Amino acid sequence: MARYNLGTVVSFEVTRTLTKRRFWIATLIVPVIIGIVVALIVGANSSTDNSVSSQKNQKFSFTYSDASGVVDPSIVKAVGGSKASSPSAAIAAVKSGKLDAYFDYPADPAKQATKVYGVDKGIFDNGKYSSVASSILTASAEAKVHDAKLTTLVKGDLPVDATTYDSSGAVSGGIGSVIPPLLFLAIFYVVILLLGNQMLTSTLEEKENRVTEMILTTLNPTTLIIGKVVSLFIVGIVQMLVFALPVVVGYLFFRTSLNLPALDLADLQLDPWQMITGALLLIGGFTLFTGTLVAVGAIMPTAKEAGQIFGVMMALIFVPFYGVTLIVSDPHALIVQVFTWFPYSAPVTAMLRNGFSSLSPGEAIGVIVEQFVLGVVVLRLAVRLFRFGSIEYSKKVSLSAVLPSRKAARAAR
Amino acid sequence: MDQRQIEPIVRIQNFRMDFGRTTVIHDLSFDIKAGETFGFLGSNGSGKTTTIRALLGIYEPTGGVLHIDGKPFSPERGSRLGYLPEERGLYKKESVIDVMTYFGRLKGLGKQESKDWSLTYLDRVALADKASTRLDKLSGGQQQKVQLGVTIMNQPDLLILDEPTKGFDPVNRRLLMDIIEEQKKAGATVLMVTHQMEEVERLCDRVILLKNGRSEAYGTISEVQDQFGGRRSGCGTRARCPRHRTTR
Ligand SMILES: Nc1ncnc2c1ncn2[C@@H]1O[C@H](COP(=O)(O)OP(=O)(O)OP(=O)(O)O)[C@@H](O)[C@H]1O
Ligand SMILES: [Mg+2]
Repeated sequence: MARYNLGTVVSFEVTRTLTKRRFWIATLIVPVIIGIVVALIVGANSSTDNSVSSQKNQKFSFTYSDASGVVDPSIVKAVGGSKASSPSAAIAAVKSGKLDAYFDYPADPAKQATKVYGVDKGIFDNGKYSSVASSILTASAEAKVHDAKLTTLVKGDLPVDATTYDSSGAVSGGIGSVIPPLLFLAIFYVVILLLGNQMLTSTLEEKENRVTEMILTTLNPTTLIIGKVVSLFIVGIVQMLVFALPVVVGYLFFRTSLNLPALDLADLQLDPWQMITGALLLIGGFTLFTGTLVAVGAIMPTAKEAGQIFGVMMALIFVPFYGVTLIVSDPHALIVQVFTWFPYSAPVTAMLRNGFSSLSPGEAIGVIVEQFVLGVVVLRLAVRLFRFGSIEYSKKVSLSAVLPSRKAARAAR
Repeated sequence: MDQRQIEPIVRIQNFRMDFGRTTVIHDLSFDIKAGETFGFLGSNGSGKTTTIRALLGIYEPTGGVLHIDGKPFSPERGSRLGYLPEERGLYKKESVIDVMTYFGRLKGLGKQESKDWSLTYLDRVALADKASTRLDKLSGGQQQKVQLGVTIMNQPDLLILDEPTKGFDPVNRRLLMDIIEEQKKAGATVLMVTHQMEEVERLCDRVILLKNGRSEAYGTISEVQDQFGGRRSGCGTRARCPRHRTTR
């Protein structure tokens, strides 16, 4: 019966959230904004593309002077430029708009800056002057080297395989081993930021609409609250999928124009212990934060008052970031220990330390147990507060009003 | 009325309720027998709603025994309870049929079953065209009719109605009394709070009259009348006094 009801609650809550226009407006705004930003960047990058050849179809007139002797006149000619008669005349021509650009290559282009003068073509197009100027230089240098191996070296596209060792002499993973466990931290932030407010207000609707009495007499409050948490999680997954969609599309189709680094999945090292610890910290932290938010919501009579508390809760999950350098560099500092064990900063701190492999197994187990135990305690308190508190439609429930009555009830038994 | 001695469906013994330092219910005891319709009377603030809430586990009683079917109420029994709270309210942003179906399912009906039942009910109370309207787009009385529908879903064997006719026009009040009477005929036990003497006369087998958290009178309507007649005290106003009203 209880499990059957749980399914009913979850399907009711999920359906009514997902069928609201407001939900989709709020959810779609983020990917739409990401989409616009991506479009802007792609638009900008296509005009600052690095290869000389791609500049050919958008030629502009330019002259140059070369004090280094590196620049190959045939390459300049291929791109449509010519040698300047005198620097001052060329700059004057650019200023008057007769010439699009003038490049002044110094005696040592590797150390001194190449001066580029150009007619303003708007922020997106101005970048092409510099890229053509440097492309000419690179292409000329390559042509002078005449050796496939050396050319590759000159280009600097070198495959490097680095191995670092940690203090115990074991191979430490570098960035490829830090990313996977830190993903849990990212998920934690996204989930709490997206769902936190909804958790806080999840039981407020029953209160504000005076449905509590009907609900409490038909349904076990634990079933209701667990049902709400489960449906929030489902809704959160839907939201994350919607958000992730443009990111995935952007990565797969516009990776080069967005200048995103190639993510070679083979570089990611999955340490099973770290991954399990990360996952458990995520679930434990989620339990504790959910329980707390629901409990706070059960005490607050209206969404407005609950919102003020929400701000404080959110500040708490960002506090560990003030100490992030310390967390990474000196995990044994007192403040890091405090952050690791204080229940509400623990998930973030422990997940960070887990990512940087500075969380000992003992600490990991301790924090995980702390999160789960406290999470369950707080969730039970939340159920109780909802059960006996939500009839107080207009005033805040005082903890003392709820707790002593428990004693009284025990005495009565 | 059936006079067989059966185990009462509701038993309240020495019930006491404190809010902070104020005692709202002092020492209340009464029974409701299976199949009877029981009137719960008393002036504003006398403690009727508090008693019902404590009986249904919404408030924790300070002391005493409040049993339904011989044990404290638990929501698992809720599928056979129809409760119309004093504070009315349903999920306002959802459609009538969605809310009714949800409660139907919570009370143990199948999805189609509760949808069908709801549509039949809505037709009966002249709300058939509002099935897919959001609740907050209905008038107060219309919302109340929907809530009454939710209350009597799945053939409850115990109906607890806190001022059921509150906010109804005379036509709908009659409709509501018909519905309660039907439930009664179908075998439901009814506990109803009311300030309307004609409802008491038409529906109730026995009543309790509460005053300041204490029982003033308890028994069949004629017994209560006798108590008042004998003591020549009690009801302060005509409206609250069963004797004046019933002998009107
Ligand atoms: N949650 C509460 N906290 C403090 N006092 C309360 C609470 N609920 C009710 N009371 C007090 O208990 C007394 C009885 O209230 P109750 O709602 O039971 O009256 P009632 O008989 O239902 O009245 P009415 O006919 O107006 O509905 C009132 O004096 C009220 O102020
Ligand atoms: Mg009342």
